[in-house]
Amino acid sequence: MNRRSVFSLCALVLLLIAGLLSPYIFRSDIEYQSDQFLMDTLVSIKVYGEDQDLLNAAVKGAYAEMRRIAELADAFAKPETAAAQGSDVFRVSALAGKGAVRVSNDVMAMLISSKAYADWSEGAFDVTVGPLMKLWDFGGSNPHLPTPDRIKAAVKLVGSKDLVLNEQHKTAMLAREGMRIDLGAVAKGYATERALQVLKSHGIKKALIDAGGNIRVLGRNRQELPWRIGIKDPRKSDAIIAVLQLEDASAVTSADYYRGFESGGKRYHHILDPRTGYPAGQSMSATVVTRDAGVADILSTVFFVLTPDKALELAEKLEGVDLVLVTADRHIRHTASLEGKIAVQPDTGYHYDQGR
Amino acid sequence: MTKGDKILLAALTCLTLLSAALLYGRFFLPKESTRARQAVVSVRGEVVRRIDLPSSGKSSFQVQGRVGPSMVEVDGARVSMREAPCAGGICVKQGWIEHPGQSIACVPGEILVRIEGAALLDAVTR
Repeated sequence: MNRRSVFSLCALVLLLIAGLLSPYIFRSDIEYQSDQFLMDTLVSIKVYGEDQDLLNAAVKGAYAEMRRIAELADAFAKPETAAAQGSDVFRVSALAGKGAVRVSNDVMAMLISSKAYADWSEGAFDVTVGPLMKLWDFGGSNPHLPTPDRIKAAVKLVGSKDLVLNEQHKTAMLAREGMRIDLGAVAKGYATERALQVLKSHGIKKALIDAGGNIRVLGRNRQELPWRIGIKDPRKSDAIIAVLQLEDASAVTSADYYRGFESGGKRYHHILDPRTGYPAGQSMSATVVTRDAGVADILSTVFFVLTPDKALELAEKLEGVDLVLVTADRHIRHTASLEGKIAVQPDTGYHYDQGR
Repeated sequence: MTKGDKILLAALTCLTLLSAALLYGRFFLPKESTRARQAVVSVRGEVVRRIDLPSSGKSSFQVQGRVGPSMVEVDGARVSMREAPCAGGICVKQGWIEHPGQSIACVPGEILVRIEGAALLDAVTR
């Protein structure tokens, strides 16, 4: 072996060592985690970076953005209060059948995409589901099973074709009296996505937002690996059914276990099928993986309400959208594109046949 | 094989082993694994109590939330919300938590009980 090759080998070896050690020498990322209660849930934000002041400012900005959107979208504000005046959604519903209301860009954006998904899902999803939500009162003090007549009457007041949007004048109007908007399946995801954009605008490259189980991640995790996100077992409080590996993506779940009540020995959960007025019944949970948390929030509700076959068929057609379902007959099913990116846990007690 | 080659071979072997060890440490052992587990209780974002886990035996203590007092119970490695003043009682129904990353949130009271430590998952969608 001649001198030159010994020399170049040594150089190579030194480079290798330097490369391996560099993450230890240069790693100075600080983790900053903060928890706040807003939008009727717990919102946790975790960010990584080198400058503590910058992390604080970014997280503060993100929470402020979420709070701003929460106020605009508050459908359950008490009439005649400042909260009601500050809520675009409240004002549009209050003037249903009477007049158009000027709304903020954010509410306009949410209403436009909601209307589009109502069309696309043929009514399986509809933000004008408000009269039904009010009738069942899931979030209120007295959730109860309404009479069939009252449900029938409320279903008649649902329909996004009567939500009239004027993009030029930035107005929204509900055409018939008694109609109501409920952004419960939209606002949290939209706000989460906006909050992530605020973090990015502060130069944050690594972040995780957990808005009551709606997850949005940016970059990779602290170990420089994709974020490991579990999907909750819908029937066991302490278990997960699968693990997803995510980078710059969101995972949002709609499920039957979150809110609800029992009546006459039967459980009623809070995700209503706008077409029937009753809780949707063919899935226990639907988890959507896609980049935009706002889209993920809407789609998780759409796919929860549709039959599993129809939901998977539609999800397969969407670019960059993945779906994991736990069906009422205890099967775990997912879109084909998730193969290799999902680790379904062994011994979950559910049937799993490569997603089919 | 010359003497130089032997030295080189030995050096390369050492380096390979070292690299393997470093890679293993970096990717497969979470840094936090050396840190003990703690239950952290906070109210409206302010930490009010930290309990090292596992604790010896059973104990409970009161936490003053936004809508009244709640009772947190610790039993060895596990923590639960035993009593809450709210109507829903979602936090009480949740039962025990013990794994790092798990949390109990009382939304009306704005109370959060979180287990800190080396978590296998970054988050759970639910």
